Parts: sequence; structure tokens; C-alpha cells
Amino acid sequence: MSTNNGADTMKWLLRREFWEHKGSMFWAPLIVGALLVVLLGCTITYGIIAHGIPAHVTINGHTLQHPRLDALLPDETRMMVGMITRGMYLGASTPLFAILTGVVFFYCLGALYDERRDRSILFWKSLPVSDPLTVVSKAVTALIVAPAITLALAVVASLTLLSIACMVLSTQGLNLFAALLASPDLYLSPLRLAALLPVYVVWALPTVGWLMLVSSWAKSKPFMWAVGVPVVSLVVIKWINAALENFSGQTLLLAHYANDVVARILAGIVPGIWFVFQGHGPAGMRPAGNGADMSALVPQSYLSLAGFDAWIGVVLGIAMLYAAIRMRRWRDEG
Amino acid sequence: MSAVIEARSLTKRYGKRTAVDGIDFTIPAGRIVGLIGPNGSGKTTTLKAALGLIPFEGQLSVLGLDPRTQRDELMQDVCFIADVAILPRWLRVRDAIDFVAGVHPRFNRDKAERYIANTKLLPSMKVKEMSKGMIVQLHLALVMAIDAKLLVLDEPTLGLDIIYRKQFYQNLLEDYFDEHKTIVITTHQVEEVEHILTDLMFIRDGRIVLAASMEEIGERYVEVMVPQEKLSAANALQPIDRRTVFGKAVLLFDAGPGGASRQQLAALGETRNPSVADLFVATMKGTYA
Repeated sequence: MSTNNGADTMKWLLRREFWEHKGSMFWAPLIVGALLVVLLGCTITYGIIAHGIPAHVTINGHTLQHPRLDALLPDETRMMVGMITRGMYLGASTPLFAILTGVVFFYCLGALYDERRDRSILFWKSLPVSDPLTVVSKAVTALIVAPAITLALAVVASLTLLSIACMVLSTQGLNLFAALLASPDLYLSPLRLAALLPVYVVWALPTVGWLMLVSSWAKSKPFMWAVGVPVVSLVVIKWINAALENFSGQTLLLAHYANDVVARILAGIVPGIWFVFQGHGPAGMRPAGNGADMSALVPQSYLSLAGFDAWIGVVLGIAMLYAAIRMRRWRDEG
Repeated sequence: MSAVIEARSLTKRYGKRTAVDGIDFTIPAGRIVGLIGPNGSGKTTTLKAALGLIPFEGQLSVLGLDPRTQRDELMQDVCFIADVAILPRWLRVRDAIDFVAGVHPRFNRDKAERYIANTKLLPSMKVKEMSKGMIVQLHLALVMAIDAKLLVLDEPTLGLDIIYRKQFYQNLLEDYFDEHKTIVITTHQVEEVEHILTDLMFIRDGRIVLAASMEEIGERYVEVMVPQEKLSAANALQPIDRRTVFGKAVLLFDAGPGGASRQQLAALGETRNPSVADLFVATMKGTYA
């Protein structure tokens, strides 16, 4: 009875989190995704129809004729399809990932605070569901469920935009469907996005741990505590450091890390933040000749896990989640 | 019969204040116990300790388990309603049933649905659309469908209309309670629960001042309507409380060992069993402690 109960209970806990946060985790990105499709779709349609495709384009000395483009210039067609595909993915996923950051931030802040504020924690605690399982279900929701939903919606939005673009182009005599279906980018892009999820989990863990710890501890205003404590400590450290430098010419060793620590604690949930933590932007994100090179994103992201930095964060994140579990177990709710 | 709850010098301090002051008590199985005391007397703290919600000192065993270290195991057999209106606002009736059915091995879905069918609750309704009475009905439907060995109710009907309150206790007695279950209730509204209780525990300033079964209380305490001329004789028998009803003195006596005998009291005037509420007021006045 109790052996398979853990997995079963976890399933229901995750479902419960989804019921509670359906609005921010599903409807908000869905609506924004739909708006993006409509807005970008209209822009693309208008752009193509109003300006048309030049009747004669010369590429590499070949005069381009749309219907036979595929046969004449297979390389160029492939490149063009690839560009469009990547463009759609970036265009559709960037706003959705921005929303995800906000959703995960406020979800974590409220995860263990709201149930104490409305005292529903006493109802949840009247059921045979342990504190570790509950806290882990909330962390999993923040780290995996919410990003996975956003990811799926981003893929759907991108594919919709892609079909719109191809359809409009086909009305202009340029049929890219065959080339698109044959393009590896079409199939690889969703997989690449999905492959980034484990990297996201690693970098988001310290932030999720910190926010949930504050959420389990704060008597009121968890936002003020979560943001205030790191920012005020940063300012204090900077100030002491500056004072020390003036007087003795020495600097605090701590001061060199303070910026990084605060950034890791508060911004770890931003998708792709690991490129910033690595100290250099992703080469793939820079507009190259043929648009963003998404294929390079995955290996570069995994490369960010090679250093100690990422794993120190994981250890601290798990430690903070453990503290949150203890807090939920013993906190007297009056 | 084994004890459901057994406390030995149970103590809980909040800083310098002692909320529960080394109390001992035993609650056997198959009882409905009223834990009654004024605000801040320590009754909720005692229950919280028994439910493993707070750390404490002393010994406390619930169904043979230590609520501090074996809470997860304990909650398979214990259920509680800690306060009214603590169901989260976003919860739907059908989701609540699905969730409890999913996580609780002793939940009987049919029973919960049957109970809800008798109310105005609809499966698609959210808690935030419900009146306070309806929220309690939902909570009770969930809790009553759980075959727990111990049910703890802390002020379960606070702020409810009289109709809901009556119905609440009626349902509890008719559809839930049996000899294998134990119910512990705390409430301010003593008069509402006194007819369903089998045992009483009065708690004051973190100490238990009276613990007895209802039969014992019926045997021990006597209320006498004393006419004016016998008042001085009655006062000599050391009543624990006196009040005046329609110009007549009503005196409460402890007829237990060492107190006045029933014959003595019967000679003073008309005798009857006091209500728990009157007994409570008398006990809490401090003339008896």
C-alpha cells in the first residue's frame, strides 16, 4: 500500500500545483503565444504580400525562379528554410521564456507562503502527505513542469508561425513545404529546446531553493525578503569594501564574489542565464551570416556544467530546499 | 482497550509563557472527548502537539506513535479539521475529492460523493464561490469519508449558522462515529456538543482541571434550587457555584467523595443534573481548581 504510494502521491501533488497555478503556468503563456502568432503572422503575411518576393533574385550568379528554386539551388533553399525555422523559434520562444521567468519567480515565492497565509496548510497537513514530498513537488513544478509547458507552447507557436510563413510564400509562388519537411532544423529545434531543460534545472536550483526558503520562512512580504536580503547585503559589502580600500588599500575577498552570488540567487531562473554566468555571451546567439545558430546552443549550454560553479549552486539549492522542508515541518502556524 | 492518546507531563513553552503545563491524560478508543477551556488555555496547543504540528516536551503517544518523529505514519490513521474555512480558495469540489482519493489510502470516494449529493455543492464549484457553511460541508464530506482511527476537531463550527452547526454534529454522530473511532473536539459552544460527548476535559491555564466521563459527571455534580429559608444551610455545604434564576437561588454542588451527599442535597430543594455549560462556568471561575 505504501510502497507505490510515494510515486502516486507525487503525481497528485504535481496535479494540485497545476490546478492552483493553471492561470499563470498554462493560460498566460498560451494567450501570449497566441498573440505572438497573430501579430507575427500578420506582419509576415503583410510583409510578403505587400512587398512580394522579388521576381528575379540572383544568387551566386543563378537567376532565381521560385517554383524551381528547390531543384536549382538546393543549398540556398536549405539555408533559407533553416533561417526561417530558427527565426520563428527565437521569435516565438523569447517572449514566452521572459514570462516563464516571472511565473517561476512568483510561484516559488508563494509556494510555501500562500498556504500559510490562508491557513490551508493545516488542511494539506491533515492528509498523509509528507513535508519532503510536498516541497519537492513544488520544486519540481518550478524547475520542470512550468518550463516544460512553456517549451511545448513555444514549439507549437513556432510551428504555427512557420506554417503561416510557408503558406503565404506559396501564394506568391514560392513553395517551401517540401524543403521545410526535409529540413533537419524542423525536427531538431524542439529537441534542442528540450535538451536545454536539464541545464535549466541545474542553474535554476539555487534561485528556486532560495525563493522557496524565504517562502517557507517569511512571516509577511516574502518578495521584500527574497530580494531585499541579497541586495542590501550586496550594498553593505560594497560599502565596506570601498571603505576598506580607502583606508588600507585592501579589499574584501568576499566582495569579488558578492555580485555573482546575488545574481545566481536571484536570476538563476532566467532561461539561458548560464551564458551570462560563463562570462561570455553565447556565440550562437550573435547574429551570424545565416541567423542564429541554434545547433551550437546545446553543446555550449552543457559546457557550462563543466565548472564547479554550477554544482556549488546545486548543492546550495538542495540545502535550501532541505531547510524549507524542515521549516514547513516544524513551523507553528498559530 | 488501548489508549488512543496518552500524555505524560506534556509541556509546551512559547518563550517564557507556558502554554501547556505538564499535563497527563489518557483518551481510550471509542470515545468522543470534549476538550473545553477558555481562549489561551492551551487546548489548541495540546491538539497541535498530538497532531505533530509543533515540538513539545514530555511524553505523548498517539495510536502508539510519537507525533514528533512518526508523523507521516501517524497521519494514515489520524485526520483533523483545524479551523473552519481553511480549504484553499482555488480548490474545486471534484478536484478536492480526486486529490484526497489519490493520496489517502483510507478514503471512501462513494461516501464523500453521497454526502455532497445531499448538499448544494456542485462538482465544478470552487471554494471561493462557497459560503462558509458550504466550505465546512465540503471539508466534512472529505473528512468523514476517511476511515481514520482518530478525528480531531478544533473549533469546527466557529462562525457558522446554527443550522449548519446542528447538522455538522448530527452527521458526525450518525454517519461517522462508531466504537472503533475516537473523536476529540474543542469548542467554545459547550452546549452544542454536550449531548454527543462521552467524556469531558476542562483545561485552564495549561492544566487539566477536570477529566471525567459524562456518567461520572452526572453522578458527581448536582444543581439544587434552594428556597430562601434553606439558603444558609445550603451555603454551609460549600456549593461550588451560585446564581439566581427568577429570584430563586440555584446552587451547584460537588457530590463526589468528600462533598455533600445526595440525600443532604435533596433535602435542600429540587435537584437536577447541571448542564456542561454551567459546570464549565463554575469551574473556570476559580472557586474550584
